[in-house]
Amino acid sequence: MASMEFTEWIRGRTDAQLRALVSARPELITPVPAHLEGLAGRAASPSAVARALDRLDRFTLAVVETLAVRETPASKEELRALVGAALAEGGPEPALSSALDRLRDLALVYGPDDALDLGPGVRKVLDDPAGLGPRAVEAFRHHPPEQLDEMADDVAPGTEGPGKERLAAALSEPGPLVAEVSAEARGALDQLAWGPPTGRVPNARREVRVASARSPIEELLARGLLAATGEESVTLPREVGLYLRGGRVHRDLRATPPPLEGAGRDRALAGRTAAGQAFTFVRAVEELCERWSVDPPGVLRTGGLGVRDLKRAAGELDVPEWVAALVIEVAHAAGLVAAGGGVDGEWLPTQGYDLWRVRSTAERWVALAAAWLHTDRVPGLVGERDDRDRPLNALHADLRRASAPGVRTATLGVLAAAPGLAPSRESVLARLEWEQPRRRGPLREQLTEFALREAEQLGVTGLGAMSAHGRALLEGGDAAAALAPLLPEPVDHVLLQADLTAVAPGPLTSELNRWMALSADVESKGGATVYRFSETSVRRALDAGHGAEELLGVLARHSATPVPQTLSYLVTDVARRHGRIRVGTASAYVRCDDPALLDQITADRRAATLRLRRLAPTVLASRSSRAALVDSLRAMGYAPVAESLDGDVLISQLDSRRTEGAAPVRGTSTANGLDPEVAAAAVRALRAGDAAHLARREPVDAPDGRLPRGPATATISALQDAIRQGVRVWIGYLDSQGNATSRILEPARMEGGYLTAYDETRAAVHRFALHRITGVAGL
Amino acid sequence: MSVNDGPLIVQSDKTLLLEVDHEKAGECRKAIAPFAELERAPEHVHTYRVTPLALWNARAAGHDAEQVVDALISFSRYPVPHALLVDVAETMARYGRLRLEKDPVHGLVLTSTDRAVLEEVLRSRKIQPMLGERLGPDSVIVHPSDRGNVKQALLKLGWPAEDLAGYVDGERHPIDLLQDGWALRPYQQEAADAFWNGGSGVVVLPCGAGKTIVGAAAMAHARATTLILVTNTVSAHQWKTELIKRTSLTEDEIGEYSGSKKEIRPVTIATYQVMTTRRKGVYSHLELFDARDWGLIVYDEVHLLPAPIFRMTADLQARRRIGLTATLVREDGREGDVFSLIGPKRYDAPWKEMENQGWIAPADCVEVRVTLTDEERLAYAMAESEERYRFCATTPSKTYVTEALVRRHLGEQVLVIGQYIDQLDELGEHLNAPVIKGDTRIKERERLFQAFRDKELQVLVVSKVANFSIDLPEASVAIQVSGTFGSRQEEAQRLGRVLRPKSDGGGARFYTIVSRDTVDQEFAAHRQRFLAEQGYAYQIVDADDVLGGV
Repeated sequence: MASMEFTEWIRGRTDAQLRALVSARPELITPVPAHLEGLAGRAASPSAVARALDRLDRFTLAVVETLAVRETPASKEELRALVGAALAEGGPEPALSSALDRLRDLALVYGPDDALDLGPGVRKVLDDPAGLGPRAVEAFRHHPPEQLDEMADDVAPGTEGPGKERLAAALSEPGPLVAEVSAEARGALDQLAWGPPTGRVPNARREVRVASARSPIEELLARGLLAATGEESVTLPREVGLYLRGGRVHRDLRATPPPLEGAGRDRALAGRTAAGQAFTFVRAVEELCERWSVDPPGVLRTGGLGVRDLKRAAGELDVPEWVAALVIEVAHAAGLVAAGGGVDGEWLPTQGYDLWRVRSTAERWVALAAAWLHTDRVPGLVGERDDRDRPLNALHADLRRASAPGVRTATLGVLAAAPGLAPSRESVLARLEWEQPRRRGPLREQLTEFALREAEQLGVTGLGAMSAHGRALLEGGDAAAALAPLLPEPVDHVLLQADLTAVAPGPLTSELNRWMALSADVESKGGATVYRFSETSVRRALDAGHGAEELLGVLARHSATPVPQTLSYLVTDVARRHGRIRVGTASAYVRCDDPALLDQITADRRAATLRLRRLAPTVLASRSSRAALVDSLRAMGYAPVAESLDGDVLISQLDSRRTEGAAPVRGTSTANGLDPEVAAAAVRALRAGDAAHLARREPVDAPDGRLPRGPATATISALQDAIRQGVRVWIGYLDSQGNATSRILEPARMEGGYLTAYDETRAAVHRFALHRITGVAGL
Repeated sequence: MSVNDGPLIVQSDKTLLLEVDHEKAGECRKAIAPFAELERAPEHVHTYRVTPLALWNARAAGHDAEQVVDALISFSRYPVPHALLVDVAETMARYGRLRLEKDPVHGLVLTSTDRAVLEEVLRSRKIQPMLGERLGPDSVIVHPSDRGNVKQALLKLGWPAEDLAGYVDGERHPIDLLQDGWALRPYQQEAADAFWNGGSGVVVLPCGAGKTIVGAAAMAHARATTLILVTNTVSAHQWKTELIKRTSLTEDEIGEYSGSKKEIRPVTIATYQVMTTRRKGVYSHLELFDARDWGLIVYDEVHLLPAPIFRMTADLQARRRIGLTATLVREDGREGDVFSLIGPKRYDAPWKEMENQGWIAPADCVEVRVTLTDEERLAYAMAESEERYRFCATTPSKTYVTEALVRRHLGEQVLVIGQYIDQLDELGEHLNAPVIKGDTRIKERERLFQAFRDKELQVLVVSKVANFSIDLPEASVAIQVSGTFGSRQEEAQRLGRVLRPKSDGGGARFYTIVSRDTVDQEFAAHRQRFLAEQGYAYQIVDADDVLGGV
């Protein structure tokens, strides 16, 4: 609960300061509270405070902790002394002043310089601030009063009053008590002094007196220098801790972040290397999608991609499995692949992939890198095991870690702050530890390592140092513009060689690329592409309908050197044989030793429906079935006999007949019964919807703010008019849950109590029950 | 800064593409040659491959990862994939973690600078039996007889050992090069020096580039008794003649150890065949290896080294070894064994470059395609699959084309090479030329070769016995009518027959006659790949053009 004081302080902030507050703590305004009191209340809530504290660096957090330990408002002078004592080197200013400014901006500290206090809720969230235990009053709260009385008698003989208070008073100056204990007991205290303040001892709640204490732990328990907090746990009361620390709240505090250490890199070289890797990564994603579009892997029953499919992808891309997992995950995060198709589902490239593919390499990279930066999925976890020891698969839902994007951004931020430096892993971790001490833990360490190695793979960093385009990506600049000049420029020529290879010394222009992909096989990829022509590959080009002359012409035009004789020979040689054997489909044939008779049949007008084709002087092929052919020819006055597959004459049978052709596949267009009217409406609505979409995207309100209501007959006649005139109308409609909604429709047809119309608000054709239409209004 | 204007493109599959017309191409080739194998050298873009073997070769030659990375980055036109750089560094770091050393007390020991690697290796079941007592955390005894096997096994595990155990000097024997009227060519000198400095290894030079002389130069370095292993008797004779001519060795000092003679002299030339002869399942001539304290072993045509010789070589790791070959391509893919048992590649030079410098004759390669007649096509279609190649390779049409070609090259020295004896006999008859085949006596062979050399004979028909090591200096035209299926190295060897520099400085011609639309054509394509990759462009012509005399 926010105190009045705090609320007033908030109220006294200037608009600029409040803007700073809400932009630094955006969770305070989601949703926007009704008033400043609400804002103050929310700022004091434990979750909001915890999130704000998580953002603090080591030093600023230390300032908060110092105030938290003090319990009461402190002046800036006092604070300066305390913080200054804790610093390992240098003085507390100017770091302290700027930390205080920051804390005020965040509303974690408020009040004037002579009475600084923590915002409400902050102390509660910080348990064990700076590794100090609870105050004695808190620590001994649950002890039985009798035991406390006995303890007070021991540590403060001759005092009067409740044991709890006497004990607390004695512990507020614990020097004499600490001096009494044995060296072993002192050692135990020193272990707990700098936190964590809790330890485990068996039977912590035992009752001991100073006189009867036998072990070091008992000495401490009897004097209240340790307080039992459970059956087997003890804690060091804060007063004792502070005494042991010599009054300092922290030790070896640093006012500035630890310096980054690592190897220096030439910035241009690092940038180039990163760009090269960026190019490689984009190609890897493209290759993956191309492969998956023809041979998609299945979706596992549990979701995700099978281990074998991952191995296969790694093999095909010629990368280690973790890189393959990264490629797959980034492609997924960028919306380039998704589950779909098939009965059980398959991982397929999306339509987004087709849009992505036509963009420039630099733009494609930005799309991938941004997706990677912001995804909460952790590709690095692929192949590890979850809590139940099941392997984590790529594309599986369990790969999500909420803190991943934050850690990634923070890690890259560290790198971006040190251009031209490839900091060591330890040094990055140490920096992150200083920058966000409250987020430490094995997960962050793991995520940081993933982020570092993945950034290198993606080409955000090169040789371990941040690249210019990586920095632009991180800071919201134009990363594509920074990257583009470093990427190889498309070339419009290849080098043809007599060993039937062609080398494209860079990425090819799209037209040439298509030609090469069609007529040659890729042998090696990278900055350049090596192609090999073979009989099969040349035949592929010919199969695609290109002539030998055309192919050689294209090659000659785009070759920096003359076309080698071997290559032109290969192409003409394949062309010579190409298509010499023709294969087609026919369901029956007519053969006759007398070509004149076949001439007669083909000339016969009645034979047109049989769709006969002359294959040779004595053979006709037909697309009708054998039985139909025999019947038709008989009807035309000829006397055909049917032949079996082996050429034997078949005796005609009058009983059951079977079709000999394959069952026709039902045409999808007629099966769906797409009404021409609906189709027309859809096209018109598409045009109109396009315009409306650009104008507004919110659901449409009723023209007068209410749902229109009219007699049913009026509704129907209005809709009929609209159908006739082909105009859009606005309707009120009760959906299947009974909610009143409003739609903009292009009505197509009305029958059987339903209206079929193109729903512009949903961008689809729907059927609407007439009785649920509450009203119609023209637009 | 935009992309570099370098001559090199680094591919993600670890191939390097070098644009040869680029002004920095020569410089770049020098920089990358130590750590990348030249894979293909067609006319415009040469392909090198960075393989672990090549990187370890580079380490063995004293290059470090930084130099490699630097060469890649400074010559590369586009940014170098980071993964590749990391991989280079990691691979190179694997070499030398394990070392074979000579310990004054314990003899041969395997030591390690990285205990984890040694532990990993020791756990390998393959290696355990070859190792003796563990001497300490970082070293273990190796049975001296397993020196080669250990190296072979370690290479397979990906932890190649650096062999610092040194060599025995062998029995001294004075050998000098007699450079009277001829001189060691610069590349021959370089090759011999590179070998000697490396200790052991392989020299790759094109046919006709004088590999025998490199062998002789290596012997002059070693100045010790030498065992030379060659492919066959004729080639043994040629080695002998050549050594007498080029070195201070006299006829009495050189022995021949073959099927017919069993001489053991300070320099002994033995054939692979006799070494691999078994009697009652035992190699009966193994004692040759121990007959003398050999200071050097020369392996001629290393790419043909038969498997038993590999096994024998494993026991000879304390002796210096030099391998000579035109190509490291082995049809059986045992290049790794050559690396670990004979030694890393110490020298190689692209064929075309040698040609440009005039050390080997320029050659035109022509593939002549004959069309089977209709009856032949029918017969071919019906032939059993194992008979098909023989059928289409020996079609009579080839005989006519051969005749036409011989006519065309009247006055030049022509070799006709084939696989099938019937076909060769028929050709011999048609061309009125002698035929040399497996059952031709050695004496007769040498008489014919001499006559051919003296230009008394203009046309010679030979079977595959002449594939290797037969010095026919003035053959300027070779016509290949059939071959051992798709063997790439055979094709290279056969071309080598005509590559010796000609006295008139003229070029050579190499014809391959191939039946169109048959397996013959497929095999031919496969055979030609190696040469095409070495920069020999095949021209394809139709048989009709040849017969028509165009």
